[in-house]
Amino acid sequence: MGANKAVVGVFSYLDDTLDAVKSVQSQQLDFRVYSPVPSHEIEELVVPGKSPVRFLTGLGAILGITGGFTLAIWTSLDYPLRVSAKDIVSVPGFVVIGYECTILLGGIFTLLALLHFCRLPDVLRKIGFDPRFSLDKFGVVVACDREQVEGVRDRLIQAGAEEVQIRDAL
Amino acid sequence: MSMAGQHGGDKPVTYDEVNRTILKMLEPPTVRWYFMLAACLLCVAVGALAWTRQILNGMGEAGKSHPDMWGCYITTFVFWVGIAHSGTLISAVLFLFRARFRMPIYRLAEAMTVFAVLTAGLFPLIHLGRVWFFYWLMPYPNQRALWPNFRSPLLWDVFAVSTYLTISATFFVVGLIPDLAVARDMAKSKIRQALYSVTSLGWSGNHRQWKHYMAAYLFFAAFATPLVVSVHSVVSWDFAMSIVPGWHSTIFPPYFVAGAIFSGVAMVMTLLIPIRKMFGLERLVEPWHFDAMSKLIIITSGILTYAYGMEFYTAWFSNNPYERDQFYFRAFGGMAVSFWGMTFCNCIFPQLLWIKSLRTNIPFLFVLSILINIGMWLERFNIIVQSLSHEYIPYAWGWYNFSWVDVGIVIGSFGWFGMWMTLFVKFFPAVSIMEIKELLPPPRRRVGAGSH
Repeated sequence: MGANKAVVGVFSYLDDTLDAVKSVQSQQLDFRVYSPVPSHEIEELVVPGKSPVRFLTGLGAILGITGGFTLAIWTSLDYPLRVSAKDIVSVPGFVVIGYECTILLGGIFTLLALLHFCRLPDVLRKIGFDPRFSLDKFGVVVACDREQVEGVRDRLIQAGAEEVQIRDAL
Repeated sequence: MSMAGQHGGDKPVTYDEVNRTILKMLEPPTVRWYFMLAACLLCVAVGALAWTRQILNGMGEAGKSHPDMWGCYITTFVFWVGIAHSGTLISAVLFLFRARFRMPIYRLAEAMTVFAVLTAGLFPLIHLGRVWFFYWLMPYPNQRALWPNFRSPLLWDVFAVSTYLTISATFFVVGLIPDLAVARDMAKSKIRQALYSVTSLGWSGNHRQWKHYMAAYLFFAAFATPLVVSVHSVVSWDFAMSIVPGWHSTIFPPYFVAGAIFSGVAMVMTLLIPIRKMFGLERLVEPWHFDAMSKLIIITSGILTYAYGMEFYTAWFSNNPYERDQFYFRAFGGMAVSFWGMTFCNCIFPQLLWIKSLRTNIPFLFVLSILINIGMWLERFNIIVQSLSHEYIPYAWGWYNFSWVDVGIVIGSFGWFGMWMTLFVKFFPAVSIMEIKELLPPPRRRVGAGSH
């Protein structure tokens, strides 16, 4: 959102919000949609495709399984001590360590991916956010230049916005 | 849709009502809440006093003597790990299966998981005796360059329980983020606003955040699901990998997992019923949720009953005199009261849930859930204490003597768990706002519009 104005539309209904999104999409404007709950309809319209979170999750899981087995095998070879007639490298016993480390690192990497892709923490929040968007309203925030403001506002009102605010963008 | 108000007749539940009903729980505490917290703190004080005495005078204070060196501590450790178990089942496994009954109860179940693992984690430390050497459990070499034994089930347990705590705590905290944003945006006092601004990490609920959040949440659920199977299987191997009669059994992992789910669902009921009443959540947690949980209890009770029977059958069919004698001792020996208590609480009483009206009878379910928890503690007592008391040769047989230190620490653990739960329900949304809203049809101007 590099423009100098932000037009904030507040909606009570999901279908109105979707109409507003289609309308601003057709003008190729930069926009952001806020909703109190996740919505497949908004997601499919605005950001189709899969989230890249899965790549970091996979990387964490691979590092975990490799690290778990490496730790157990390397430490057993570092100081070979036979216990209860088991092999020095007892792969079946080390499966538990590898399994737990896969889950542990996979989970930690998923958390890091979540924070990275959601841009969290973001304590100051973005221009255009309204506390009602986390409660019970939908929001469409459009970034535009001063001369486009009126047109965007009309589009949002036409789609069913119950309130439109004009704010200065960063 | 079977949320209150989605049936014909009632006024439909709105997003705003969900916000207000759940966040009402965070209003300034009542005298009843302070009383509950004080009762929990008193129990914690008893536990702390008992532990201090044990640290000063040694493990003898806890009534531990050969052959019962595990006693109440490991019994209660396994009990709390079991309680922790079903939180993940409800939050992760039922999420993947899209079971709708989980939505109003899963946050409480997740909190229960985290606090129960925190409680369980105390017991290996308490049982160490010299607790200041707790770091010896960590995988690093000692001064003779000897590493921990990765073939030992006890080390597997360290990995399993620590992973479980990390993943379940992460899953729990991540699930809270959007709800804390709601609490932030509805907070009236500056302090609460600041607290929830920080803890919600500045969540705004824009389309990109929701997309990555839901993807990550799915992965957390996918990672937590195998943990449901693994953590109690690994705990069961602490026993099953040894050769003690009564422990050395291949059925232990599924038997422990079923028992853990059974006790955990019962504990969710024990906590949910008073919280529902106290905070007026009747419109969100309805009788059909209890009906669904009761059915889960019937299934897991059936699996447990089968496992108990199979233990006896295996002992008889193996023709192994030590196994046979062990199970005869359990049912008819000096500690048989705990065996029969377990049988009544876990196998007989839950069968009453076949009666449909009892599955939604809240006072009955509350009493039953407490009986089940008593039964499950007794089950672990039977497995651990009875088996150790009656090993191979009569010369090694022994008797377990409770001491006040032992009992005090068990009481303290219940106080510790209760203290965290009591604080949690007052400072954080104990019912998921986001998921309850997801249950509702999104508001539409045009009836019938939408592709989902």
